[in-house]
Amino acid sequence: MNIFKPSGTFASADNEPAPDVAAETARWKEETFAPATAGVKDRKKFVTDTGLPVEPLYTPSDLDATGFDYLRDLGFPGEYPFTRGDRPGMNRTDPFVVSAYSGFGDAEACNKRFRKLIEFGTEQILVALDLPTQCGYDSDHEMATAEVGSVGVAIDTLADMELLFHGIPADSIKRIGTLGNSIGPIVLALYAALGEKQGIDWSRYTVNLQNDPLKEYIARGTQILPPDPAARLASDAVAWCVEHAPNWSPMTVCVNHINAGGAGSSMGTAIALANARHYIDLLLAKGYTIDQVAPLLHMFPDERHDFFVSIANLRALRRIWARMMKEQYGATTPEAMACRTTVYGHGQEALAEPLNNIPRTAFGTLAYVLGGASYVYLAGYDEAVSTPNENSARVALRTLQIIANEHGFTDTVDPLGGSYFVESLTGQVERQILDGLAQIEQIGGALAVIGKGFGRRVMTEGAVRRQRAIDSGERPWVTVNMWPQKPDVPNTAFRGDEKAAERQLARLARVKAARDAARVKAALAEVDRATAEGRNVVPSVLEAVRAYASVGEIVDLWRRRFGSFVPSTDF
Amino acid sequence: MSVSNLEVSRTRKIRILIAKIGLDGHDVGARVVARGLLDAGMEVIYTGLRRTNEDVVRAAVEEDVDWVGVSILSGAHRVLLPRLRALLDESGANDIRILAGGIIPQEDIPVLQAKGVDKIFLSGTPIAEIVDYLVKETPHV
Repeated sequence: MNIFKPSGTFASADNEPAPDVAAETARWKEETFAPATAGVKDRKKFVTDTGLPVEPLYTPSDLDATGFDYLRDLGFPGEYPFTRGDRPGMNRTDPFVVSAYSGFGDAEACNKRFRKLIEFGTEQILVALDLPTQCGYDSDHEMATAEVGSVGVAIDTLADMELLFHGIPADSIKRIGTLGNSIGPIVLALYAALGEKQGIDWSRYTVNLQNDPLKEYIARGTQILPPDPAARLASDAVAWCVEHAPNWSPMTVCVNHINAGGAGSSMGTAIALANARHYIDLLLAKGYTIDQVAPLLHMFPDERHDFFVSIANLRALRRIWARMMKEQYGATTPEAMACRTTVYGHGQEALAEPLNNIPRTAFGTLAYVLGGASYVYLAGYDEAVSTPNENSARVALRTLQIIANEHGFTDTVDPLGGSYFVESLTGQVERQILDGLAQIEQIGGALAVIGKGFGRRVMTEGAVRRQRAIDSGERPWVTVNMWPQKPDVPNTAFRGDEKAAERQLARLARVKAARDAARVKAALAEVDRATAEGRNVVPSVLEAVRAYASVGEIVDLWRRRFGSFVPSTDF
Repeated sequence: MSVSNLEVSRTRKIRILIAKIGLDGHDVGARVVARGLLDAGMEVIYTGLRRTNEDVVRAAVEEDVDWVGVSILSGAHRVLLPRLRALLDESGANDIRILAGGIIPQEDIPVLQAKGVDKIFLSGTPIAEIVDYLVKETPHV
């Protein structure tokens, strides 16, 4: 049976459905399904976390009902609208990049772990920074108390970067980078200066940053400045790369924290797309073209409750991105229309019996791979409670390698394309995302999501809804509401290494004493001038980090100029 | 939730300050608990992110709360919570009790309790359990 319409036709919702299948489906429901299931109580509520009902069976008539059109809606991998994949051969010829997010203690301790990860086969390392670094405080700042090296590695100056990558040339793996959401231009400069120190040209290695401050205000919580200047500084990092390192990927616009915080993956994707548009608009206003800017942006989709929604979300996101870039922004190159995706495999991880998180995260990750993600991370099974130990980090990498190489998961492109269920879901999820985007446009875009409380409201409501679904058992969760077990938080949970913190403080003091104070002062003054004049801050920040100015010293200039964000007390 | 008529015999509602101390930016849990306690009929104030212990003590005293509920997921609890207790006591607020929630290792729980943290609820605790505890433990006035 041909499930697709003849090529070239444009279907619409009121097109006649294939009468035989629709009629037969109705007959099957009435004659076969209903009698067999009469009196069988639903064992759960069949609805996705995003609120879509899930039917017992999908047939071609479901596709007809949504006006599905193969050539218009799917096309081919590596071609517009990129639903089936951003790359022509996808995992068959151009496998997803096996990635690790890691960092703890000080640079010295962390360097050893990085070498291990590379030995295990990681192809990309994203450095987990500790909270003081992410929030723009040096390790010796009062706000850094008890946090230095705790949830990530402490980076105060270029000296820490040199130590962190000692014996790991920047071009020895596919990509290196970090999140640095609120300190984007600084971490970009640190990675640029690292290449200089290692004698490796910027064209020979690839730096990936998250550098997405806008989601921090509603989801992740490392915001430093008010949102508007924060977004401008982040876009400076992208603009600098357009000019100096177009092979880098300096911005990854995130759904994940927004979804995890309660928004749901469809509204989370809508908010992230609104954020992406905000950054893009800032860059276009500076005179860059969409064909220059869009290829440097990545998206970071997220869905950790429903396997098939996850696949649908990635496919819908690529289609929406391609259409947005082409139709709304006038992009002309495939690179500017193909949405590259970074994902971080989660499941519904539980605190009890943490080893069960291995299959959970593997299933979650498999969905992303089947959905065609480009860069794939996988959470350590102990990640909900601690910085992953060497063993859990290895299991995470091995799981990715198993998905990439065993079971034939990656032999054909978009293996679930054409599934009645997955295509129906892809269409429905796309609709949810576009509706969310329209709602956001109506209230005034990305800054209004933050300023008018929209983001926080949808997130709190969603988080409360999820909590109720778990408390009531509506959303099954093994060891939590089925076969419940006591949560087990290991004694190693986020246990900072006090020796590492001591080493870090000593190193910072040494670096500050040894550096050329006059050069630091002049470089910081130039950062301040560039900021005041609205010039791209990256060149001056690069000069400052070369002189071993600290992260905190640079951020202090911005705090003084722009003020600090005011935390919301709404809940 | 099994908490609808808890305030019947109270002349004053239970008042609780939900607090985020330090740099930990994960406040979904804090907000969900805040909302749950509000729904259960309590008076709830949320500090918002990234407060110092001093900020929290000031707010707790000004708002005359019965409880401070601190959410911590970054591992800084061992330093921050005992200090919070000490600062509350110094301000004469010995009667304000501390709850903690989040990711707290088993072996830290007795240590924290010895240093003046009343009760610890790990991530994933049903809201009803927290409500029941507060109702049982808050003296009637």
